Amino acid sequence: MSVRHALLGLLARRPRHGYELRAAFEAIVGGEQNWDVKPAQVYTTLERLAQARLVIVEAIEQESGPEKRVYAITPAGRAALQEWFTCGVERDHQRDEFFIKLMLCLISGEADPRQVIHIQRSQLYRELHAVMAQRNRLDPKTELARILLLSKAEMHLEADLRWLDITEARLAEVQRQPLPEPQARPRGRPRKTQS
Amino acid sequence: MSLIETEKLTKIYGQGETAVTALDHVDLRVTAGEFVAVMGPSGCGKSTLLHLLGGLDQPTEGRVIIAGQSLAELKDDELAAMRRRQIGFIFQSYNLIPVLNALENTALPLTLDGARPAVAKDKAREWLGRVGLGERLMSRPDQLSGGQQQRVAIARALVAEPALILADEPTGNLDWRASDEIAALLRQVADEWGRAVIMVTHDPRIAAYADRIVFLRDGSIVEETRLGAQRAENTDWVNGRLKANS
Repeated sequence: MSVRHALLGLLARRPRHGYELRAAFEAIVGGEQNWDVKPAQVYTTLERLAQARLVIVEAIEQESGPEKRVYAITPAGRAALQEWFTCGVERDHQRDEFFIKLMLCLISGEADPRQVIHIQRSQLYRELHAVMAQRNRLDPKTELARILLLSKAEMHLEADLRWLDITEARLAEVQRQPLPEPQARPRGRPRKTQS
Repeated sequence: MSLIETEKLTKIYGQGETAVTALDHVDLRVTAGEFVAVMGPSGCGKSTLLHLLGGLDQPTEGRVIIAGQSLAELKDDELAAMRRRQIGFIFQSYNLIPVLNALENTALPLTLDGARPAVAKDKAREWLGRVGLGERLMSRPDQLSGGQQQRVAIARALVAEPALILADEPTGNLDWRASDEIAALLRQVADEWGRAVIMVTHDPRIAAYADRIVFLRDGSIVEETRLGAQRAENTDWVNGRLKANS
């Protein structure tokens, strides 16, 4: 995902300078502990957006400290934003650190796979406990967006826990099967198939 | 000190070759104010454990000690009194009496124990208020939602002021939201009212409300996870998790 689109979205509402943009972004994601965007990332992204003519520097404010560039979105920027809204967001569920840990545990024989699963289960339950405690402290009348983000985390954790149960139940079966090996692929240009 | 403790708790059904070990030398300790979830696949011994803890069934071996008292040493009438006064039960299907209203259902354990009706009703009103049903005292079970019926059952379980609450799949018949509310209420039963709560559930989300999860498999405890009393750390976990999900 791109901080780039988030910045365009924020600028679509009104022109702002980099510091304001970063603060607005953090407010939406629920604080820097959730999604930490460094000031440098905001400024380099703004520079790139300006080079691509998706934003322009509308004004330069200078009171006492360093100068503040106020950015505004251009028509091309709005078009790029529109394009972002019209496509779906891909999820990367198959790139999973725990899965690779479990596979390497099976391949290397360096750890007991059940133990590895148990440790992960404890970890996920602690996270789930904490997510729900956090969610229950929020006020649905004023903090619903934040509650929905926590609910999302909760549902993912729940799914991960169910997956662990299934995987544990089928561990013996997996262990009986040959582990995935790279497939031998011929090098060079593929041969023409004869029809 | 633990409020309830089991020592090598074992239950074997049947004899000889057909004998089935439902529970195999389980040692469990739960303190006052602690909320423990018991999880595991069907047939792992969860319900057997709950029945033995509640004195509803006799162990083949080992013992259950509640507030320093071994259940095996009690005579039948003493055990019945222990169940009425020290243990509150909550079931999946609420087990309310259809012809009685919320107040009468809640007062029932006290009435059966010989309390004066006025005293029993005062206590029942008080507990129904605490579980958020102060406005529904006169409603019969069929006039209440599932979640509300389970609240009545929780008030009924607490009305005799027992130290221990045993809950068997308390959210099994409830939707997502009502399940959450009931789990949060059980959390409150432990946190605010200092009861020991032992809950059997198969729902990870509901189990996650507990302070500790005990996993049973083939009658034995195979895993234990402490969730509570690490709240500062938990916050870091959550935040890390949200970050990973973004």
